[in-house]
Amino acid sequence: MNIPFRPILSALLRNRTGALLVAIQISIALAVLVNAVYIVKQRVDKMNRPTGIDDQNIFVVSSTGFARDFDYNASLREDLDYLRGIPGVISAVAVNAVPLSGGGSSNGIGKVPHQPARSEDGNYFTIDEHGLETLGLRLIAGRNFRPDEILPPPNSVQNYVAPQVILTKSLADALFPQGDALGKTIYDVDDHPSTIIGIADRMMGSWVWYDQPDYVFFMPYLPTGPSVRYLVRTQPGQRDAIMRVAETHLSASNPRRAINWVRSLELFKKNSYLADRNMGVFLTTVTTLLLAITSLGIFGLATFNVSTRTKQIGTRRAVGARRRDIVSYFLVENWLITTGGIVVGCMLALAVGYWLASEYHLPRVDLFYLVGGVLILWGIGTLAAWQPARRAAKVSPALATRTA
Amino acid sequence: MFGYYMRLALLSFRRTPGLTVLMVLAVAAGISVCVMSLTLYHAISGNPIWWKSHQLYAVTMDSWDPERPHDDKHPDLAPPQLTYKDATYLAQSKIPTHRTVMFKTAGVVSADSGGPKADPYTVVTRVTTGDFFTMFDVPFQYGHGWNAAADEGPEPVVVISKEVNDKFFGGENSVGRTLRWNDRAFRVIGVLDFWQPAPKFYDLNNGTFDAPENVYLPFRWGETLELEAHGNVNCWKPENLTTFKQFLNSECVWVQMWVELPDSASRERMQTFMDSYWDEQHKVGRFPRKRNNRLTDVDQWLLDQHVVQSDNRVLVGLAFAFLAVCLINTVGLLLAKFLNGAALAGVRRALGASRRALFMQHMVEVGLIALSGAILGLGLAWLGLRGVRALSATATVFNKAGIQALAHIDATSLISAIVLALVATFVAGLYPAWRIGRVSPAVYLKNQ
Repeated sequence: MNIPFRPILSALLRNRTGALLVAIQISIALAVLVNAVYIVKQRVDKMNRPTGIDDQNIFVVSSTGFARDFDYNASLREDLDYLRGIPGVISAVAVNAVPLSGGGSSNGIGKVPHQPARSEDGNYFTIDEHGLETLGLRLIAGRNFRPDEILPPPNSVQNYVAPQVILTKSLADALFPQGDALGKTIYDVDDHPSTIIGIADRMMGSWVWYDQPDYVFFMPYLPTGPSVRYLVRTQPGQRDAIMRVAETHLSASNPRRAINWVRSLELFKKNSYLADRNMGVFLTTVTTLLLAITSLGIFGLATFNVSTRTKQIGTRRAVGARRRDIVSYFLVENWLITTGGIVVGCMLALAVGYWLASEYHLPRVDLFYLVGGVLILWGIGTLAAWQPARRAAKVSPALATRTA
Repeated sequence: MFGYYMRLALLSFRRTPGLTVLMVLAVAAGISVCVMSLTLYHAISGNPIWWKSHQLYAVTMDSWDPERPHDDKHPDLAPPQLTYKDATYLAQSKIPTHRTVMFKTAGVVSADSGGPKADPYTVVTRVTTGDFFTMFDVPFQYGHGWNAAADEGPEPVVVISKEVNDKFFGGENSVGRTLRWNDRAFRVIGVLDFWQPAPKFYDLNNGTFDAPENVYLPFRWGETLELEAHGNVNCWKPENLTTFKQFLNSECVWVQMWVELPDSASRERMQTFMDSYWDEQHKVGRFPRKRNNRLTDVDQWLLDQHVVQSDNRVLVGLAFAFLAVCLINTVGLLLAKFLNGAALAGVRRALGASRRALFMQHMVEVGLIALSGAILGLGLAWLGLRGVRALSATATVFNKAGIQALAHIDATSLISAIVLALVATFVAGLYPAWRIGRVSPAVYLKNQ
């Protein structure tokens, strides 16, 4: 097909303003689209990281003893016996902090004493021998804590490392890159030694936003009272029913303490990723709207061009142009405008991407996204001009013979 | 003349209803997205005590590890909290008009025997000196805060939030009644009114947008009851910490301190006071790092503590890009619409209408579109913000204040949104209206 670029271009140049406005819209739309999709993709990837634990089937109970004659240790035993005895419960454990919740404890551990600069900050959880099973975390090497190793609650102001620890693989590899962590001794910042008795699979700890959320280790302590949180893992599908049963029973079982709340671990996870999710939804909505507005702009301009050139179209038809020539004329005109906008938009997209990268330390936008964005805008441009072009083709050749 | 232009504008809308609706929609979409992002941004980056920003100062001293800074990414900043010994020493100074040392803990509130029944539950509790309420302009529904004597006593008095008062006393004036906190009787002396500063500037640890505490106790109760801090407790020095006394005396930082300094003279005196304390302590081997004693006002504090995340600025940038596209779109559509009616304009010009008159006539048309777009846009923004709130439903479970602030668009944002809408659309209309005034009547008359 022979496309007459020259007359199209000269017609376009004679009526610049409208075309220029649409081209600017397209360039901004492209810059926003490319960077927004890229940011959303990163957020989605972040939210979809595996937690390493059975987060869909775990719930958390928060209990605080407040009466002055509250017997914390007895209550701990009673509660755990009760929770572990509920049909449908796989396992339960008392912990110092809730994974994925944004709240937790950390301690520096290193392989050499007196070397705080060479230590790694590990996010620790105090558990008993049921801890790993409750989390649904697999032991890769070594052994679990034995019941006789579980220590009484530590004094609240000290956080010494216990004589035995289990490290997650990520933390073990960070400290011992050769992979020979099992059986080695590590030291906390106060130089208390501890033996690595087991290596667990990787899991995310308390802080999902942290650079190393999976630097986690476990110590065989009962948590410090009188406030305690229990993690309870249930058979799939039974979590919500068991939560209600447990809340009713525990609230009534001991008037010397308060059950503050019973929540699913899923809720904590959702809350931790709230900002990412909202950002994703907001960016997606605004970008979609932006594309819709841009296509309206293209549509508006094409409609305007068709309506002001009705007479010329009639004349062209009268002197032998086929319908498809008219359609292709308007599509090509539109394509030229869109492409102009896209060329500028590519530069704008890269500039915005570069600015985001330097300002916010985000990774530089992938060129793959730019190609995708260009294709999408070409598609939208053609679709938006399609209806006006078809209407132009319907102009009757007889119109040329009439005045105005 | 204005009435006539209005009639012409309405006629013109009737001639091209589709295009008109498109324009109004474009303006409305731009306005709504812009208002939404600005409201969101405002809610999370605002200074909730702006009227006192330059009188309130966070007090920090770098007592950290000589080997490494407290925050590797910001080595110039001191830790955001103080050690207990430094905080209690500095709080004795009479230079500030008010001073607050405080920390966050938790306790279970329960009804006193004979009091109304309500289930006991754990409340976040602030252990603070009485100046807290005066300094931060905390609103009271009933009663008041406590004085310095109550801090030192410590007297068994308590200030409770509206929420706790509603739960335990059914919202009545409970001043003088008794409430139990961790199974110990406290006399209620004040009930707060609704108060949700967002961000929670006075203690940004563990949740910048957490709601304020529900119960407030005089500061000395911390030492008396050996209350554990539930905020960040950061330690660097290997120390033997087996007793609470040792902990209070340690190099761990966990106490927040604010002072109110009305003028630069008092500020300088406070700085000198801190520096001389630093010198004295440095001589006996404390403060191993370079001297870094700071008084930071609220604005700077929110910047230093990175309250506004980069995310949020991206949102604002996006909103303005979106508004720009919507307005460019409107310029294009207006131009198309006006030039479509160029023949009519030509006739009016030929009959003697001035360029100015034509310009005015078209600006009236633009104004109508701007107004409808603005109203529709605000409606959409309101719906959108409800959507954001619905999305953030889990945050309310976790008692976040920032989300609550999104519940309403306040008068200032409302007015600025309307102004934004009108100005933006008028600017968009200028060029097309000017352009239509330039049509030469001859061309159109000839063709008729």
